[in-house]
Amino acid sequence: MLTIADLSARVAGKAILNGLDLAIGAGEVHAIMGPNGSGKSTLAQVLAGRADYEVTGGTVSFDGRDLLAMPPEERARAGLFLGFQYPVEIPGVNNVYLLKAALNAKRKAAGEPEVDAYEFLALIKEKMKFMNMSEGFLTRGVNEGFSGGEKKRNEILQMLVLEPKLAILDETDSGLDIDALKVVSKGVNSLRDAKRAILLVTHYQRLLDYVVPDRVHVLSGGRIVKSGDKALALELERRGYDWLTESRVA
Amino acid sequence: MTAGVRKALPAEESRTELRAGSMERFHRLGVPTARDESWRYTNLRSLDTGRFAETLGAPAGPVSARSWLDPEALLPTIVVVNGHLVAGAGLQWLPPEIESFKISRLKDLSHKESEDIECRFPAFSDAERHRFALLNSALSPDTLHVQVLGAAAAPLLIVHLTVGGRPEAAAHPRVLIEAAPGARATVIEHHIAEPEAAAAAAALCNSVTRITLAAGAAIDHYRLFSTAPDATHFDTLEVRQAGDSCCRQFTAALGGGLVRTTLEARLEAPGASLDSRALLVGHESRHVDCVALAVHAAPHTLSRQTARAIASGESRVIFNSTARVEAGARGAESQQSFRGLLMSPRAEIDSRPQLEIHADEVKCAHGATTGRLDPDMLFYLLSRGIDPATAQSLLVYAFLADVLGAVPLPEARRAIENALISQLPDSQLLRKFR
Repeated sequence: MLTIADLSARVAGKAILNGLDLAIGAGEVHAIMGPNGSGKSTLAQVLAGRADYEVTGGTVSFDGRDLLAMPPEERARAGLFLGFQYPVEIPGVNNVYLLKAALNAKRKAAGEPEVDAYEFLALIKEKMKFMNMSEGFLTRGVNEGFSGGEKKRNEILQMLVLEPKLAILDETDSGLDIDALKVVSKGVNSLRDAKRAILLVTHYQRLLDYVVPDRVHVLSGGRIVKSGDKALALELERRGYDWLTESRVA
Repeated sequence: MTAGVRKALPAEESRTELRAGSMERFHRLGVPTARDESWRYTNLRSLDTGRFAETLGAPAGPVSARSWLDPEALLPTIVVVNGHLVAGAGLQWLPPEIESFKISRLKDLSHKESEDIECRFPAFSDAERHRFALLNSALSPDTLHVQVLGAAAAPLLIVHLTVGGRPEAAAHPRVLIEAAPGARATVIEHHIAEPEAAAAAAALCNSVTRITLAAGAAIDHYRLFSTAPDATHFDTLEVRQAGDSCCRQFTAALGGGLVRTTLEARLEAPGASLDSRALLVGHESRHVDCVALAVHAAPHTLSRQTARAIASGESRVIFNSTARVEAGARGAESQQSFRGLLMSPRAEIDSRPQLEIHADEVKCAHGATTGRLDPDMLFYLLSRGIDPATAQSLLVYAFLADVLGAVPLPEARRAIENALISQLPDSQLLRKFR
């Protein structure tokens, strides 16, 4: 599904990713953990195609295609979804317009007809109910005046509507209370199947209690320094990150 | 140049003191130059002042002048061609019985009557700002007088058109609106583009509208400019407000080559309030210069000035707003909010919100920002599969929503949105999802 080889990238002239390797297969859930500044969010943004993140080396293959050669909107249409750490507010652009435009862009790229207006509304309402969202959401601007938790829920709602092949969730769990965390996790788990892959970027182990990963990776200094199964997340929770970064120096 | 203008005064009318006086003042002041403070950003050197030598005549036959604000022709409509009140789609220039309005043209009244009406609309004192209004006073061929007597159910639409633009002539439409105590109405003035076939020379129009609101009156006034890309337009709007009157003014510059709009409102008694909103769209090489002044001449008056400007291509948009609180106008409140959006490296936006406060205990706030589209918002939309052109037009649309959303008449809002969208880059999705 996704193969990252020797990926390096810099932001504002500063090298953040330094030869990162990672492979995620269909049906897998991977978690990337790591201390602040280790490059977790940079990896997410680079994969989604943010223009001011400069790729300086390496390759990324997504579903057999050269991901780095694709502009961001094509990546999205090809089935890559980024759930933002800080979803931006766009007053004046209605949530439903955005969702419908996004879904139709994807369908068009796949050679499918545009979604029927009534079917679409029914779909949105069903997903909103699943995500415990109020109907007031339908008339509001994108993330306009949303609380942190509502913004994250909206990211998951978008993901559920767009049904991506690869979802990258950048600290979707941060700033959530336990109830919101459960709802968000429910949303993520509902998308898990043999054809899809999910990459969770997170700071904390607690999300992984609800969305159990197949693999856990530790990112430090712009590279994966350790990989393991769910037990690694628990070990990180207990011991912190220092033992890994120190052993690397040694 | 001014000698040519003087020649244009019809002999029998030059005896009218008002006209002669206006002409004399214009003659003394001359055409504004960059040295005139409120004309700093609009250079008139290339304006052929010889065009003020003659005033365009009335068209020979009926003229088809349809506003896209009212495609079904549902609103009572008055058509003004070259400043002359003419028969539009109907046979009479004045549609029969418009409820709550009394409408006349000064040409049909006696000299005394028309002078009495004009005297009820004295010009504002600031001659520098109102240079072209002087010229209009001197040269307008007729005046539309609109009295609002009660609560009008339907809006009155005034469609302005400049046709047969000969290179040596200009149009000087003039509208006086008088709202009786407690009266309420919506008046829409739409300056439309000349049908292409008729365009002999670029249109030059110098329009004036004066509105007086008696105590407790409420007027929604719209002025929309969607003239041809080579048209030049000077528009002066003056509003006088008595106690507890409310004026909501909406200006939209959506067309024309050079559009200079002036709004001056005087809040003359306690409780008067003005809410002015402007939507200024710079497109291709258009030049839009919008000047607004709210004068708080009495205590407890309220003004709000909001403008959103967007400039693409090589266009330039200027927004120059002032709130002036005169001595003794304690408890006055004013807000000015301006936001500009630059869509091209060659476009330019200038804004100057100003406050002149000569009283104590007032609440005044102003803010102005100009920038480009927010890259975070743009990336968010791209990351959802929206193509760059559509993402851009969505954000532009969203940027203007503050002003558009405040247009109280839904049909007008929709029509303005449609006109606006046609000037934004690729907007197919927008049309579909609105």
